Amino acid sequence: MTALRTSPRRFPARLGIAATAALLPFTLAACTDNAAPAASTDAAAITVSSTNGACAISATEAPSGNLTFAIKNDGDRVTEFYLLAEDGLRILAEVENIGPGITRNLVATVPAGKYLTACKPGMEGDGLRAAFTVTGSNQSVTVDDDVQKLTDTAAAQYTAYVKDQTEQLLAGTRSFAEAFATGDSTSARGLYASTRMHWERIEPVAESFGDLDPKLDLREADLESGEAWTGWHRAEKDLFAPAGYTAMTSAERAALSTQLVADTEDLYQRTRTLTLTADKLGNGAKELLDEVATGKVTGEEEIWSHTDLWDFQANVDGARIAFESLSPALEKKDPALAVELETKFSALQTELTTHARGEQFALYNELTPEQVRTLAALVDTLGEPLSRLTAAVVL
Amino acid sequence: MSANFLIGLREGLEAAMIVVLLLAYLARTGRRHLVPRIWAGVGLAVAVSIGFGALLTFGPRGLTFQAQEAIGGSLSIAAVALVTWMVFWMARTSRTLGSDLRGRIDKVADGAAWGLVAAAALAVGREGLETALFLWAAAQSAGQSSSPLLGAILGLAAATGLGYLLHRGALRVNLAKFFTWTGAALIVVAGGVLAYGIHDLQEAGLLPGLQSLAFDVTAAVPPSSWYGTLLKGTLNFSPATTWLEASAWILYVVPVVGLYLYSYRRSLRRTPGETAVPSVSAAA
Repeated sequence: MTALRTSPRRFPARLGIAATAALLPFTLAACTDNAAPAASTDAAAITVSSTNGACAISATEAPSGNLTFAIKNDGDRVTEFYLLAEDGLRILAEVENIGPGITRNLVATVPAGKYLTACKPGMEGDGLRAAFTVTGSNQSVTVDDDVQKLTDTAAAQYTAYVKDQTEQLLAGTRSFAEAFATGDSTSARGLYASTRMHWERIEPVAESFGDLDPKLDLREADLESGEAWTGWHRAEKDLFAPAGYTAMTSAERAALSTQLVADTEDLYQRTRTLTLTADKLGNGAKELLDEVATGKVTGEEEIWSHTDLWDFQANVDGARIAFESLSPALEKKDPALAVELETKFSALQTELTTHARGEQFALYNELTPEQVRTLAALVDTLGEPLSRLTAAVVL
Repeated sequence: MSANFLIGLREGLEAAMIVVLLLAYLARTGRRHLVPRIWAGVGLAVAVSIGFGALLTFGPRGLTFQAQEAIGGSLSIAAVALVTWMVFWMARTSRTLGSDLRGRIDKVADGAAWGLVAAAALAVGREGLETALFLWAAAQSAGQSSSPLLGAILGLAAATGLGYLLHRGALRVNLAKFFTWTGAALIVVAGGVLAYGIHDLQEAGLLPGLQSLAFDVTAAVPPSSWYGTLLKGTLNFSPATTWLEASAWILYVVPVVGLYLYSYRRSLRRTPGETAVPSVSAAA
């Protein structure tokens, strides 16, 4: 504290000025409109009742803008209320010291997105959390019925596509598992890449069932110590064994096959009741392309079989189908973006087709570094406009 | 009722601790004529807080959460700076107690007196807004049930009573020990205020590391318990403390206490017959 040298007479005054100066910026950007009191029938006022064991909230979604939560403590312990970002870490707004019988208001200006609400009776722990969605506000934007219809159609189409791919994946997995379990490695090797394509086309959807993805598609490089390694890549290592590898026993192969089919059946069951929305299509398309950029272009996905180009093609298929489903809506909202995406998808597909060998593809380790660079560059140029797809269609 | 009582008690103690220590100090050094300035600072902070709280509760505009936390956090840190300066000022002037230099020191004291007003105002004001908002909310619910408001007010009254007892107790400590004790206590309390301010700024997102906890003893010290309330109210001890908070506390309290004791002893050496016995308990 160098300030100690300053004469006592001057120091507090300076400190006062410094403190005031530090607070000034907050006073300018710190105001938020108080919404009408919660007692009125204002749609933006959401009531929350916090008790010792529950956090009852009157709505789980609201249009973006000024949100007012009126939190009443109906328990007998002091409670707090939080609005958290989707990761559950960042605090968007909170109100503390809600004593029993007291109602306190929380006003926050919240953009559209996914959030968590949490009541913390007793002011400890992570609180009683619940998902909360803030939708794009319809107050200023009137959604064109026509576009709405087109996006609904797009979502329905893509949902059907995902279900169809899952059916084909399940059928293919059964054939593959049988060949693998009975020791018919030649057939299994022939089925491996073509069956996996059905998985790779719908990967973002499969990944949304968080527990299934690692069971089915974990790479050895991503294995945590002590974690059981199951799924496609475990079989891949056994079929395309590297030097010095100890082969699986037939009992181990049988167990892995059974598990693979069971997990795929699980995925199949869960996709039966799937309903996708337009934003999931747009974001999924972008995720598929990111998959290509991070996993396929580097050759890390199929490290023993080198069948990365099959996965590459499948990811591009999935992204393209999503884009094409959304195309009619996109042409109404942002025709320039539609043209740009069409052009860049074609360019990437043309380049990819040069590596096709009939129904097969060239192995990834046969590509020259130059060819890999060309593919990577095309993926990157497509990624940028694709990241704007969701916003263009949904907002 | 009891939960609202504990909130009032905690908020009241947080405001009272520093004020009590400053008052005791003035009384012991025979500067009672400066006491009104402390009360002026307290009164100012209370009036501003209640007015501002009412404005935010009933007015057309509220304050964003980030802004509220940023204000609380910045005021806490400013309060720490002022209190630290007061402590060293005490250490420097303590050696002239009871001597004929009193008059000269009081000239300095008058200059510093505005520092006293500011320290008292900040000590109370940093928590004042949150307390005022809480009280207004309790008052609004009085239509359905008056027990929340009654509990909160009783809690604040209890904090005032405890503060008074502490003040009386401080006056009974023997003079030499009193200075060491008051200075060290003020530094420990200020360290708590600093950590509290850091946490506010972390919640507002202005500082990182809100999620990385140094320790979490909420199971042993529930924040809603009476002892959790007392620890929070007096030392600003938070059962779940982040690394940044803990580091700030240690980096502030350890060197400042050391520096304070050193500077205090040096001033004692010129006053024969009095030795300070440093007794600093490290409450973490």
